[in-house]
Amino acid sequence: MSASRLRIVGGAVHDPANGVDGEERDVCIEDGRIVASLPDGAPTLDARGMVVMPGGVDIHAHFASSSCNHARRLIPDEHAADPAPAPDLIEGTPRSGSGGTVPSTFTTGYRYAGLGYTTAFDAAVAPLLARHSHAELDDTPCVDGGIFVLLGNDEYLLRQIELGEHDRARDYVAWMLGATGGYAVKIVNPGGIEAWKTGGRNVAALDDPVSGRTVTPRAILETLATAADQLGLPHPVHIHCNNLGVAGNAATTLASMETLAGRRAHFTHLQFHCYGGEPGREWTSAASRVIEYVNAHAETSADVGQVMFGPAMTITADAPVEYLLHKSSGRRWTNIDIELESGCGIVPLAYKEKAAVSALQWVVGLELFLLSRDPWRVVLSTDHPNGGSFLSYPALIQLLMDRTVRDDRLKQLNQKFLAGSALADGLDRQYTLNEIAIVTRAGPARLLGLRAKGHLGPGADADVTVYVRDPDIAKMFATPRYVVKGGSLVVEEGQLRRAPAGSRLRLAPGYDDAVLRDLRKHFQAYSTVSFDNYPVRDLPGEPVP
Amino acid sequence: MTADRVVHSVTCLGCGCGCDDLTVKVRGGRIAEVSPPCPLAQRWFGDGTVPGDIRVDGRSATIEQAIAAAVDVLAAGGTPLVVMAPEITTEAQRVAIAVADTLGAELDGCTSDTAAAGIAVAQRRGRAAATLGELKNRAEAVLFWAVDPRDRYPRYLERYAAAETSTHVRRRSLLSVSIGADHGPKDAKLHAQFTPGDEVDALAVMTATVRGRKFDGLPQPLQPAVGLAERLLEATYVAIVHDAEAPREARDAQRTEGLIGLAQALNGPGRAALSSLRAGGNRSGAEAALTWQTGHPLRVSFAGGSPRAGAPASGLGRLRSGAVGPVLVAGSAIALGDSLIPLEKVPTVVIGPGASATKGARVAIDTGIAGIHERGTGYRMDDVPLPLTPVLDGPRSAAGTLGLLLAALRSRPPGRTR
Repeated sequence: MSASRLRIVGGAVHDPANGVDGEERDVCIEDGRIVASLPDGAPTLDARGMVVMPGGVDIHAHFASSSCNHARRLIPDEHAADPAPAPDLIEGTPRSGSGGTVPSTFTTGYRYAGLGYTTAFDAAVAPLLARHSHAELDDTPCVDGGIFVLLGNDEYLLRQIELGEHDRARDYVAWMLGATGGYAVKIVNPGGIEAWKTGGRNVAALDDPVSGRTVTPRAILETLATAADQLGLPHPVHIHCNNLGVAGNAATTLASMETLAGRRAHFTHLQFHCYGGEPGREWTSAASRVIEYVNAHAETSADVGQVMFGPAMTITADAPVEYLLHKSSGRRWTNIDIELESGCGIVPLAYKEKAAVSALQWVVGLELFLLSRDPWRVVLSTDHPNGGSFLSYPALIQLLMDRTVRDDRLKQLNQKFLAGSALADGLDRQYTLNEIAIVTRAGPARLLGLRAKGHLGPGADADVTVYVRDPDIAKMFATPRYVVKGGSLVVEEGQLRRAPAGSRLRLAPGYDDAVLRDLRKHFQAYSTVSFDNYPVRDLPGEPVP
Repeated sequence: MTADRVVHSVTCLGCGCGCDDLTVKVRGGRIAEVSPPCPLAQRWFGDGTVPGDIRVDGRSATIEQAIAAAVDVLAAGGTPLVVMAPEITTEAQRVAIAVADTLGAELDGCTSDTAAAGIAVAQRRGRAAATLGELKNRAEAVLFWAVDPRDRYPRYLERYAAAETSTHVRRRSLLSVSIGADHGPKDAKLHAQFTPGDEVDALAVMTATVRGRKFDGLPQPLQPAVGLAERLLEATYVAIVHDAEAPREARDAQRTEGLIGLAQALNGPGRAALSSLRAGGNRSGAEAALTWQTGHPLRVSFAGGSPRAGAPASGLGRLRSGAVGPVLVAGSAIALGDSLIPLEKVPTVVIGPGASATKGARVAIDTGIAGIHERGTGYRMDDVPLPLTPVLDGPRSAAGTLGLLLAALRSRPPGRTR
């Protein structure tokens, strides 16, 4: 069924952005958009007794980047164990692929659609390698997508901060977003990657000088957050704080939040940044302290980065963290330093229930969810594939909605670091379907400033997911009966039947052309790519206004 | 004589360096000048003339006839072999993989056996590497392991490993190791020599020294390894350079294993990256696209319905022995550079630059060359993608022609494609 009109009839609609909480109503689609009504006789889809939500929006994942491609090479065994034959499509060229923690591109798109997700962002792309990410996105069907561009360890920006050239830094940010086809600014371990590349290992605190410069992590955060606000970017700076994964790092996380108090800021995979205790000694949960701050500050948002037990692939620009993970785990390690801009570290990993730190991480993530007072600002992610695959979202939703399942699982964990945690003491909150619709769709769309996503009001993109109610929540969310993407019925009766190309979500903010002359000189001196060849051209679609 | 047209910031795929700072002058529809001068760039661009024929069984044909004949050849029976040959854009490579997937074919790239062995080691161990600009901007010490890049990668030193301008390097030391007859740069500041038989042991000694081990009574031939390692430890950032395309010898995989281990170990006390010199023709692009579409960087088989790695013998190897079904060469069959491939013995379709000059092809469709006639993307040896700017008009595009073939295969009656 690929008619330009479609009426989804009689489902229990969860559209929290429009104040609809499970009411039975029709959802009308025409020419790829939601419309208020359709003429009689329009094609229908019977959703009576089913649950209807907007298509899922993944605010933070790693699935379309040069780093992911390096990661794919590390797991031939996972690919062999998870073959992905081509689906039986009615339209288009079906493509086979391979799965595992970092699936091939076509398989990634198909599997996102199979979960009812229709929009996803790759959250960490080095600008130099943006051209690669766009090529991967071209080969990732079924989802509208975009990239977050890594800034905050780049030579040009650090120099502007040192010189106090904040306007030029802002213009550089604008130029970079347009040149790379980026959607948001991603900051990873501000200053820490540059420190790693100069042999200094890392930075430890917000006021540490970066590799002997006068610039500090705090100055980097302030400069980029201000630039994002001045440019009016739809999504604020997307921050991976310093000291990821280190016991006691909650102090750094809170200090980062306080630095940007009063300015919009999104703190990503917050779970990895909410530990108490001391490095080398003990770990505790500091989720309560951090989420209390988030609850009290409307300008602050987060995605959780939940850890799910099982295999994972850690992929991050935070290369010093990956080096430490390699040294402590003895696992394979790939490191790629990326000139003038960033880094990349990769270590395959598995989270185990009987491992004390893994157990604590699982608990911390759930505490963030369950202690959050505003689901619009604390949304769902596993930092795919770092905390676990996006395929584990249904199991995570079950943990949020079903306390019995959650408590049973808690009993099976290594208890070493769990004493005194809020979850171990008992949290009885259970998410409602409407809250799930918020943390998986409406909330991420709002945080991203995507006005046509995450809701089912007139004018919205016709991205719709229909689930069959099931007492097994994980099963319900793993196997939607129908998924509509941009008006095209991609999943019918639980089977992928169409795989349209997704749209590209990108920005092109304006800037003062004076920055170009300075940038050209910088490129001529230090870059190995010509300034004229750096921008990615011929991208599909138009920039988001 | 003035040029009819001057194109700046042109990317060269003559080797894996991916220099994108070339200026190309065109006169009378031919490339007249390429600067700055480089023998490989000169060879890559030539005068830019390529044939523009379409042939079926040696006779001129229309594109429709050729595509129909290609479908007949590839669907005639037996498991097809698709060879991703050099000189096409990554956009064309992506379509070639789709064709292989649709046919349930075996697919092989043009990665040399030596490079493939090195990639397999990196898959098993990981690696410490960097884009080439990091060498330019950070490498205080550069160790050339049995290679002088000037021979096969002419501008590698000038643009990257020994570049004059740098953000961080004030003084750079070039160090050199020779293995048998494979020499490093003669003008290096420090030079060591090992026999091929001692090479792996020398790498082991260096790695152990970096990790803090002291040696007593080391055999004399291995003693320079200790001094070399100590010299590397003095630098904040070390680059180790080796030729990942060196002619295949028994030691190559072990060499790569040893070099990867050494580079990773140097990341304890300081920072280090291994730079693997790779050939041009967009070979790295083929590996990148194959990885993102299938999960595997090297040859795969789609015969079981999804991509499987680890075919016991390379497609090209079996092609040499004639033990294959129909063959599609996507790219330049000539640039495969292997006169032992008897294409005339198997039903073959060639879609790529100079296809009509391929002996024995049942169907030959000439296309332009990536970055000379065709716009698109090419990959540098360090996996950095670069835009390719055409300097001349050419015959039909490889990506477009492969797209026609894919569409024709998809439109066949049900059951004849997956």
